[in-house]
Amino acid sequence: MSEKILEVKDLVVEFKTDRGVVTAVSGVNFELHKGQSLGIVGESGSGKSVSALSIMGLIPSPPGKVASGEIIYRGKDLLKAPIEEMRTIRGNKIAMIFQEPMTSLNPVFTVGNQIEEVLALHQKELSKAQRLEKAIEMLKMVGIPSPEKRFNEYPHQLSGGMRQRVMIAMGLACKPDILIADEPTTALDVTIQAQILELMKKLQNELGMGIILITHDLGVVAETCDHVAVMYCGKIVEKSDVQTIFKRPQHPYTKGLIESIPSFDSTSGHAKGRLPTIEGMVPSLFDLPSGCSFQDRCSHVTDECRGRKGSPHLKPLAPDHEVSCFNPIGLT
Amino acid sequence: MSNDFLLDVRNLTKRFPIKGGLFGREVAAVNAVNDVSFKIKRGETLGLVGESGCGKTTLGRSILRLIEPTHGEVFFDGVDITKLEAEKMREMRRRMQIIFQDPYASLNPRMTIGSILAEPLEIHKLHNGKEELKRRLYQLLDYVQLPKDTLNKYPHEFSGGQRQRICIARALAVEPDFIVCDEPVSALDVSVQAQVVNLLMDLQKDLGLTYLFIAHDLKVVEYISNRVAVMYLGNMVEVAESSELYGNSKHPYTKALFSAIPKPDPSGHKGRIILEGDIPSPMNPPTGCHFNPRCWMSSEKCRVTYPEVTNLTETHQYRCYHPIS
Repeated sequence: MSEKILEVKDLVVEFKTDRGVVTAVSGVNFELHKGQSLGIVGESGSGKSVSALSIMGLIPSPPGKVASGEIIYRGKDLLKAPIEEMRTIRGNKIAMIFQEPMTSLNPVFTVGNQIEEVLALHQKELSKAQRLEKAIEMLKMVGIPSPEKRFNEYPHQLSGGMRQRVMIAMGLACKPDILIADEPTTALDVTIQAQILELMKKLQNELGMGIILITHDLGVVAETCDHVAVMYCGKIVEKSDVQTIFKRPQHPYTKGLIESIPSFDSTSGHAKGRLPTIEGMVPSLFDLPSGCSFQDRCSHVTDECRGRKGSPHLKPLAPDHEVSCFNPIGLT
Repeated sequence: MSNDFLLDVRNLTKRFPIKGGLFGREVAAVNAVNDVSFKIKRGETLGLVGESGCGKTTLGRSILRLIEPTHGEVFFDGVDITKLEAEKMREMRRRMQIIFQDPYASLNPRMTIGSILAEPLEIHKLHNGKEELKRRLYQLLDYVQLPKDTLNKYPHEFSGGQRQRICIARALAVEPDFIVCDEPVSALDVSVQAQVVNLLMDLQKDLGLTYLFIAHDLKVVEYISNRVAVMYLGNMVEVAESSELYGNSKHPYTKALFSAIPKPDPSGHKGRIILEGDIPSPMNPPTGCHFNPRCWMSSEKCRVTYPEVTNLTETHQYRCYHPIS
């Protein structure tokens, strides 16, 4: 196993709202190794984006607050780091790209300008000419044709796929250790999604960075990640290497998610019958049941899950495979 | 024979002019839908897939005349609805409904679910008195598996999946024969998506509905549809039964589209076709076959004229000079 570059320990993030305090992330643990990809999967409201934003120190405060936990980057707890130090890390050592490339780019500056800005902030030793050259080199690296011309264009002149490439170029301009990608391809068409995922994989191989990929699409995870963490209602319910989680999911939620994806084969849906589903819906974070949050939708539920003993915790089942469930599916 | 087909679309074209200049002259035009013909049998689901800007939504709306088609005919149950007057069209619309992608935007936030569902019944005068209306509303909620107290609530009290169920109930209120489902599950979470797909399939079986199911997610479309049509830049490039389309795609674009979908199986990496470049602007499509600049099979011929429809079998048609063998 390669060097561990990021470790998130018992992270708890709370938001103050009119209806009281809500715990968006409650006790999340994961780690990222150099050159590897970790996929964080979950439905809307599961806390996957909030976890990522906490690493960047971008939780809007107020109303949000990292209540407890540690985020250790190369031996240093980022949560305790002073703002000035955090600024030298954010965008430089740890970079993030977002889902909507249109709203994350500034419409009144050229794309070249925006890439240059990252360099101007973090690599002050570079001259203007060097920055220009480097920005063009970045555009070339992310596969934008005629980068010299595109450099002077504005975001609205580019297609969605091109904008996401620009975002990636900005994110990678300082050759970060960690790239956090929050639903980077959700807004894109499938053929363009395939291009962007391919590009991210290629750049990872070249630059050796660790990637945290946040997505709701298990297909994307299966194709790009080494490790997977599945989140539900602010907790990680299962965590393992990518092969295991798809072959032998242990948490009923993980299994349900995998099964509810229609698969391709020679019989059409009408012959296959109904899609397997997870009944019910995600409970409100204001009103979580005591015990396991998934109990009301679970096919494996027991009295223990509804019990007063509290919620289940992540426990190792096998090396590199942890599950948070009182009654996991079992290996049979 | 013609009675087998509920919908028969012939040479449908929708052209949006782009006005500009000092006198608002037409400076360009977008052919959003270009000479598209297809039929849908009673009780059948035709899936319609394609990437953004390919004209699938415009096609769905032109069929219902929510957008007036520029050319072409749409026969619904034997009647050419493109020639109907407004009054007759309104009557006809009772039989054809649409469900939209965004269940947040398509319900009026100031109306209770009860009044949302009652509105179509009142417009089409489909009930006699309060008692009957109430019974009908309960029946609609029952169809989409929502509790009875739903009627007095407002849209914001529901999750995305529940709102989409309400939209489905509203479409069903007027007892339509045909529903255009325009990306009905794209905005929903994975676990909820499957519930809505199942619901639509159950309702089809129970009520004998015919669907045009528009989506960009090929997995869902393939699952729910009997036949699937693929569009690229306003043209229908291939149509076949869904299992045939997956196993035996002829058009390179169809092949690439299938291969681009990430599969939830980490061990099964098969040769992926990564298409070069972006989807061209529909304002200025390439000459010849619109797909030729991104196609790895393209030849001189492809750059000159658009290929005609080839009938491989009765149910499998494509438009390509170099079909995949």
